[in-house]
Amino acid sequence: MLKYGYGGRVLRVNLSDRTFFVESLDPAWIKPVIGGRAANTKRLFEELDLECDPLGEKNILIFGTGPLTGSLLPASAYYTVTAKSPLTGILGDSAAGGQFAAEMKQTGFDQIIITGKADKLIYLYVTESDVEFIECSYLTGKTVLETTETIRRDRCDHSIEVAAIGPAGENLVHYAAIVSSGNRVNGRTGMGAVLGSKNLKALAVRGTRSVEVADPLAYLEECRAIEAAILDHSEYQKRYQLGTTMLMTDLNGIGILPTKHFQEGVCSYVDKISGQTLARIYKLKNKACFNCNLHCSRYYVMDDCEAEGPEFETLCSFTSRLGNSDLPFALEMNAYLNQMGLDSISTAEVIGWIMECQEKGLLHPDDLDGLAITWGEVDKIRDIVEKITYRRGIGDKLADGATKLSRSFSEEAQKLVMQVKGLDVICGDPRGIKAYGLTYAIASRGADHLRAEPYFELTNRTEEAKKRFGTEKAAYRMEEEGKAALVTYTEKIALLTDSLTMCKNIGLCMDILNLDNASRLLRAGTGIDYSPEELKKILGEAIHTDYKFNKRLGVRKVDNTLPERFQKEPLEEGPTKGSTVDIHKMVDEYYKLHDWDNQ
Amino acid sequence: MILVDISKCTGCRRCETTCSFFHTGRINTHLARIKVLNLYETGTDSPVVCVQCKERYCVKCPENALRVGNKGQVIVSPTLCTSCGVCEKACPVGAIEIFNKIVYVCDLCGGKPKCVEACTEGAITFEPENIEHISLKDIKKETAKMNPSQKRHFYVKKIGSIARKRRDEAHA
Repeated sequence: MLKYGYGGRVLRVNLSDRTFFVESLDPAWIKPVIGGRAANTKRLFEELDLECDPLGEKNILIFGTGPLTGSLLPASAYYTVTAKSPLTGILGDSAAGGQFAAEMKQTGFDQIIITGKADKLIYLYVTESDVEFIECSYLTGKTVLETTETIRRDRCDHSIEVAAIGPAGENLVHYAAIVSSGNRVNGRTGMGAVLGSKNLKALAVRGTRSVEVADPLAYLEECRAIEAAILDHSEYQKRYQLGTTMLMTDLNGIGILPTKHFQEGVCSYVDKISGQTLARIYKLKNKACFNCNLHCSRYYVMDDCEAEGPEFETLCSFTSRLGNSDLPFALEMNAYLNQMGLDSISTAEVIGWIMECQEKGLLHPDDLDGLAITWGEVDKIRDIVEKITYRRGIGDKLADGATKLSRSFSEEAQKLVMQVKGLDVICGDPRGIKAYGLTYAIASRGADHLRAEPYFELTNRTEEAKKRFGTEKAAYRMEEEGKAALVTYTEKIALLTDSLTMCKNIGLCMDILNLDNASRLLRAGTGIDYSPEELKKILGEAIHTDYKFNKRLGVRKVDNTLPERFQKEPLEEGPTKGSTVDIHKMVDEYYKLHDWDNQ
Repeated sequence: MILVDISKCTGCRRCETTCSFFHTGRINTHLARIKVLNLYETGTDSPVVCVQCKERYCVKCPENALRVGNKGQVIVSPTLCTSCGVCEKACPVGAIEIFNKIVYVCDLCGGKPKCVEACTEGAITFEPENIEHISLKDIKKETAKMNPSQKRHFYVKKIGSIARKRRDEAHA
């Protein structure tokens, strides 16, 4: 029996016949995966018919938390949603913070596994002892906040947490998001579309179970140490005041801020759209995830719009990436996308790709129902986003994502889609951050930095680099040497944070979580002994599960690559001028370190 | 008494988890004597805790199980209490609640409230000398038929809108 840390139970819900089943979580099953993302992937790999249609009845969607979620651990506030992705056709998952995970943990379920498809739009209300299937045609087309508020009001309980989809999810936009706590987004890989395909508008949770740890005093001590490490960190002030939006000026300073769809790495009007400007003019106050003492999120207020966020990715996606210098517009888009349930990165990529192709004469407006758009045309962007949300007119094609859309056009145009394995590249030009480049290439869900988050390469900590990765060069962003070793280390810590469902900014970027304190936290939290070496081993095996999963779905070594631009076209201006990524060499090295075959 | 500055609260719920942990060794919203509400539609977050109101509606207990201590905190007698629920119904802001037949209300941790220590934002402060007890008469009228969660929601929404108005005026 899993008494401590874990809730110890798994909930299985079948939407087709509206039944549910509670089983206990097998300690032997969970030990080699810890929880969170790794447990979700394992479950999916064991139970999913891999050939299934991602938007069909057979796809399985899993909400997962970890052993330390909702505990005293700062920022242990994440949950991961996993399913086969409708956007990429391979492994899909996405994590979000906020308050949902802690409430879900208090229902006593470590995983909620959703199968089948409801015949009408419903939402699920999950408590410790019951699951209700509630028909909710009145929520059709409602935004995330309207859905959350309606459910809370109807059930007379304002502590209910809701993870919902907006109209984009209902309309099966392939990169639709699930949004919880009003503005916390499981954005990537289209998990919202999977929920929509199951006719499930929302998952509402309200718990009454306690989260207990095995050794409260030892656990408290570990958590205090992490709290202190956050408050004493050299980046604390910056992260507290700006959060991830600090990256706007940081990335611009090193010449890798995606501008005009990655054509440039330096943005001349960055001061207009920076995190500092946002904080100075529009920020009302800080916001935080459950039990976090960093409080790095923010709430902003404008005349006709207010919301939590935006994080760096959304801010950059709707400003420099689309050649737009209008900050209020980006803030408006942040609120709109969150409420409609759309992933900002993939939405911006499809628009940015059209802009660049039209600039280069590769796409004619006639190809796109008369759509002609260029950099920074905010009214047109607004219009397109709305069309995508409702799959209206040309929006219907755009809603399948840039990769699929590009297939009906010339090869030259296809090459301009910034994607890996069908997932759109995040905001950060890999030509100036080589370990990130490698991460985009090898990440099992497609172009994504969170699978390894090698922030270390931006820290210039040469001594640490030499000690940990055998070469001082690993601490320099422009070098390629040592980056495979760096990524094979940080991808383990990234998986560890995902499995403990902790925040990556704290665990990885601030370099606070490591195998040693994780081992102590797990021992005090769950009562299960994991030595640091054992953790390293099981994390390596869990990464191998991702690899096996995608291999079965036809992903080969050659798919671990980067868009041609990053390999061949150097940037023309700024501190990253002249650099390209020799991705195949790094991938070779990475494969060798994993001992994976070259197929 | 414990004072809340709603404009500073980020909604992290550290006060709540700390309260629950130091009283019971576990974490559970229902075991906390200070409860945070996150109102996502306006971005308003605030803990709700006993405000030591002038009227002291809760101590009018049919079993005489509740009394006011010399720091102004409410003291519940576990032997006299029958979990009848009168105090829960009486509190206008939902700061006292019964869970699994036990009454949960702020006891000020004997004079050093743990929640105040946990708040890094200065949103909750402890002022032992402050005896300016506010009146909840008006709120009582409006929340009479609500459950504790609804009362907290009503209360936070109300003080949130006042704080926002003040901020907007200052901004203009």
